[in-house]
Amino acid sequence: MISDDNQILNENKEIMNSQKRIIKGLFVLIFIGIMSSCSSVKGYQKMYLNEPCMALEGQKLDYFEINFETYREGASGANGGKVGGGCGCN
Amino acid sequence: MRMQLIVISITLFFLVLIQDVKAQVRKLASGFQSDQSKRDSTEIEIDEYVRPDWKTIDMDFLSSYYAQDGNNGAVTGGIGTEQLTDFTQKMSIRVPVTPSISLNVDGGYDYYSSASTDNIDNIRSSDSASDMRTHGNIGATFELSDTRTFGFRFGGSAEYDYISINGGVNAAFSTKDQNTAVQLSLQAFIDKWDVIFPRELRRSSSVTTDRRNSYNGSIGISHIISKRTQVQFQLEGTYMNGLLSTPFHRVYFQEQDAALIELLPDSRTKIPIGFRLNSHLTDNLILRTYYRYYWDSWGMTGHTAQIELPIKINRFLSIAPYYRYHTQSAVDYFQPYKEHTLSESFYTSDYDLSALQSHAYGVALSYSPAGGLVKAKLPFMKRPAFTIKSIDVKYSHYDRSTGLKADIISLGIGISF
Repeated sequence: MISDDNQILNENKEIMNSQKRIIKGLFVLIFIGIMSSCSSVKGYQKMYLNEPCMALEGQKLDYFEINFETYREGASGANGGKVGGGCGCN
Repeated sequence: MRMQLIVISITLFFLVLIQDVKAQVRKLASGFQSDQSKRDSTEIEIDEYVRPDWKTIDMDFLSSYYAQDGNNGAVTGGIGTEQLTDFTQKMSIRVPVTPSISLNVDGGYDYYSSASTDNIDNIRSSDSASDMRTHGNIGATFELSDTRTFGFRFGGSAEYDYISINGGVNAAFSTKDQNTAVQLSLQAFIDKWDVIFPRELRRSSSVTTDRRNSYNGSIGISHIISKRTQVQFQLEGTYMNGLLSTPFHRVYFQEQDAALIELLPDSRTKIPIGFRLNSHLTDNLILRTYYRYYWDSWGMTGHTAQIELPIKINRFLSIAPYYRYHTQSAVDYFQPYKEHTLSESFYTSDYDLSALQSHAYGVALSYSPAGGLVKAKLPFMKRPAFTIKSIDVKYSHYDRSTGLKADIISLGIGISF
């Protein structure tokens, strides 16, 4: 009975692992596809890209939100927020 | 008083907004102008446009008011109030020294009152009920060429029981066509606690160190895909060591009624990986997306996704609704109130480290006319003494599956000299 349960658990784990591998593989493929896109955009064609709301970092008012999310959630980083300093104990 | 200030600021924003809408309506009403008069007005606009030069000093004033409430206070072992209010003001200024060197200075304070920390000594409205954190940084950016920049900064922060100093360097390299760029950053934070234990545990508790150090490195790669779309990939690594638990957090156990102070490992490695995609879908609609995967050595993994849709009402005014979802697993050392056992090596009942999901949503309004909102000119000066360039307001609501709810309202004013 216990060995049957273990077998089912192992099978479930294998399914989960294979799903994770597929998702990771897809992510890597999409990433490589995007980064290797070869259409060259000239400086004078960057009218839309140069607008402030197209910036690839948080907007200036996001500063406060990112800070409190850093404290209220154990997971943090890779978003331009603070990565140290201050105890965050409140 | 603080709420009044924020209300006044928001009222000011909407007054400006109404003026702009009125101007738009007037423009529509006088719709059928002759071609000649249209040409004239265009010429006037072009004549009035002042090309920004490298000597322009940019300054941002940012304020926010944050309020939260919940019933899992870590100071009281995972039960009890988490009520907190925080009023924050920050100023950042960029001073160009030469066309290729600029000085960056920022500073500010957070004033908070917390019913949770008020419970450190179990006496309501005691010294621990409120505190102020002040912080400041100074740095410089050097444009070495069109494709290379380098910068450094150092600074610090201080609050009643915690002091922190930090330093860091960053560099950015881009391709000749500036369609691909790599950003590198290294930072270190050296912190010191003034260790405070809960009142009833002051005789029986001790910690092995009062230091906390954090070292962070990040690499970002950004790439332009088309005239309207760009992406960024960011990999970060943070290593922390020292006193990583909070000495006034209580933990309660199954076997006894008396609490102990929180105990966590003395090192932690965090690895978040972020990905952004921004796309100008139409002339008036922009899509901003963000995804982050997070892993740390305490057993926590997390996923965060955000979508923001800025809509340009006209050339100067935009409204940006957003939604953010976050989910995380608990650290290996978390258990709720009275579920830990004394045989465990590490223990915490801090719900910030628990398994949770959170939903945040809100809206931002941004108003930034080409010529600025307000110009202050002195009679003997050719250029304006200063120009209020932009004003931004944002409101967000935050719901956490543990029951914690929070609201934040922020205001930003951009000024140039």
